[in-house]
Amino acid sequence: MNATEDSLVGTSARFRRRRRVDRWLGRLLPFTFLLVILPLLDMVYWIATRALPTFSWATLTTNPSGTSGGLYGPIVGSAEILAISTTIAAAIGIAGGIYTAEFASERMAATVRFTTNLLAGVPSIVVGYFGYFALVLYFGWGASLIAGSVTLSIFILPYVFRSADLAFASVPKDLREASLGMGSTRVQYIRRVAFPVALPQVLNGVFLAMAIGLGETAPLLYTAFWNNFPPTGLNQPVGYLTGLIWNYYDEPLSFGTEVTMAFQAAFILMVVVIVLNLAIRIIGGIYARRLRGLYH
Amino acid sequence: MLRRLARWAGSIPALLPLGFLAAIVLTLVFATGLENFGLSFFGTDWNPSTGDPSKAVFGIMTFVVGTLITSVFALVFALGLSLALALSIVFYLPPRMSQVLAPFVDLLAGIPSVVYGIWGFWIVAPVFGETINPTIVRYLGWIPGLQGPVIASGVGIPLAILILTLMIVPVTTTLIRDSLRAVPQALDESGLALGATRWEVIRRVDIPYAKRGMWSAVLLGFGRAVGETVAVFMVIGDATKLPASLLDVSYTMPGALVGQLDSAFIQPNYLHALAELAIVLFLITFVVNFAGRRFVSRIVVRPTGALSVRGAGP
Repeated sequence: MNATEDSLVGTSARFRRRRRVDRWLGRLLPFTFLLVILPLLDMVYWIATRALPTFSWATLTTNPSGTSGGLYGPIVGSAEILAISTTIAAAIGIAGGIYTAEFASERMAATVRFTTNLLAGVPSIVVGYFGYFALVLYFGWGASLIAGSVTLSIFILPYVFRSADLAFASVPKDLREASLGMGSTRVQYIRRVAFPVALPQVLNGVFLAMAIGLGETAPLLYTAFWNNFPPTGLNQPVGYLTGLIWNYYDEPLSFGTEVTMAFQAAFILMVVVIVLNLAIRIIGGIYARRLRGLYH
Repeated sequence: MLRRLARWAGSIPALLPLGFLAAIVLTLVFATGLENFGLSFFGTDWNPSTGDPSKAVFGIMTFVVGTLITSVFALVFALGLSLALALSIVFYLPPRMSQVLAPFVDLLAGIPSVVYGIWGFWIVAPVFGETINPTIVRYLGWIPGLQGPVIASGVGIPLAILILTLMIVPVTTTLIRDSLRAVPQALDESGLALGATRWEVIRRVDIPYAKRGMWSAVLLGFGRAVGETVAVFMVIGDATKLPASLLDVSYTMPGALVGQLDSAFIQPNYLHALAELAIVLFLITFVVNFAGRRFVSRIVVRPTGALSVRGAGP
C-alpha cells in the first residue's frame, strides 16, 4: 500500500526536486517587487529631503526671480495649461470614444482604435516639434499658453479617447438591448443609460491624461516657452513646473537656490501625481463594483 | 439628410487621431525644407558649425547608436523584471498581496520624466560614478566594451539604462500580465491534473500560449524606450561622439531633438537636419508600435471558449 501511495503521490527524489523548484520560485519571484518599490521610496525620500527644508508658504505664493524665489508663476502656468489641454482632449476624446463605441462600423472602429494607439506611441518631443513648427511658426501663434496647451492636448488625447471608448463599449449588452428594445433612441440610451454606467471609467481616463499632461516637458519646451509670472493672456509665453526643473536642474549649486527650486517643483509634481493615481484607483474600484452590481 | 450630416459630423472627433498623425508627418516633412544631406546624414559626424553654416555636417549615427544601446539594454532588463513581476502577480502571490503590490508598478508609470531625470542626475549618478561603474571596470573590465574610462560624475550609458528600465517596466509588465491572464484556465488545470507542478505548467503551457503578448511587450516596450526624451537627456551626458565603451557618455535621438532646437532657431540647414532626425525617430517608433499593436489586437480578438475567462482572478 505504502509503495503504491509513494508512486502515486510521488515522493521520489525527482518529484521532490520538481516541487522544490516550484516552491522556491513562488517564494523568490515576489521579491522582485523590491526592485520597483525601493527606487520609488528612494525617489520620494531624497526629493522630499532636498525640497522640504526650505519649503514655505512663500514657495507657493511668490514668483521665481532669476536665481531664486518661489514657484507661484509656474504653478499657475501648469494649472492653466492643464485645464485648457484637458478640456480640449476630453471634448475630442469623449466624443470620439462614444462615436467609436456606439456608432462606428466594426471596421471603422478597428481603424480608429489602431490609429489612436499609434498616436499614443509618438514620442513626446516629436509632438513638440509638430507644435513648434505648425502652431508656433506656420500658424504664427508664437510661443504661448495656447500653443503649448494645444500641443499638449494632442499628446494626451489618446488616453482620454481609449478610456471613453472602452467605457462605452463595455456597458453590459443587456442594458443596451433593454433600453433600445423599449423604444429609446440611441441618443437617449447614451444619455440616460450608458453615460451613468460609463462615467467613472471616462473620468478615469481624464485623470490619467491629467497626470500624464502634468508631467510632460518635451511638448511644451518650444511651444509654451517660459515665463516667471502667471500668463496674462492666451498669446503670452507661460512657465510651468516641469519646465522649471528642466531649466534649473543642472545649475551650479553655488549659484543660487535654483537646484532647490527644481527639487521643490519635483516634490509638488510627485505629490500631485500620487494623489491623481490614488483617485484613479478609487474610481476604478467604484467602476468595477458598479459593473459587478449590474449582474447581482 | 440631416441625420446623415449629423452622423458624418459625429465621426470627426473619432478621425482626429488619424488627422493629427497625418498633420505631424506633413509638418515634419515641410519643416525639412526637403533639404538633401546625402549619405553624410547617416554618418557619425554631427557638426552644425554655427559660425559658418555652409560648412555644417549633419550625421545622425551617434544619436542612433546612443538610442539603440540604451533602449536595447533597458528592454532586456525590463523584460526580465516584468516577467518575474507578472508571474508573481498572476500565479504566485495571494490575490490580496498582489492588489497591494501591483499599484506600485503603475505608479512608476505616473512619475514625470523630469522627476526621474533630476533624481537620476543628483541622487543616483554619484552612486554610479563612485561605486557602480568603478566596480564594473575592476571586475568585468576584461570584457570588451566594459573597460572604461569611468566618468566621475556618474552620468552616462549605465545610468541612462537604469532610468529607462524603470520607466518602461510598467508598460512591459502590464502587457505580459494581461497576456498571461488570457491563457484559458482549462489549459492550466489540465497541466496540473497531469501531475505537472505550477512552474512546469507556466513554462510549458502559459508562456508558450502567451507568446504573442510577450512580443507585444518587446515591441511596445522598445518603442517607449526609443522615444523617451527628457529623463535620458538629463542623465546620459549628451556628448556628440560615439561612446568609447558601455560606461561612456552618449546622446540619443530624442535628446538631440530636445537639446538642440533652441540653437537651431536661426540656422535653416540646422533646423532642416533636426526635422529630418525627428522624421527618422518618428518612423522607428511608428514601425515598432505598428507591429506591436498588431500583436496586442490579435490576442484580444482571439476567441477563447467557454472555460477560458480568467478575468475573475486577481
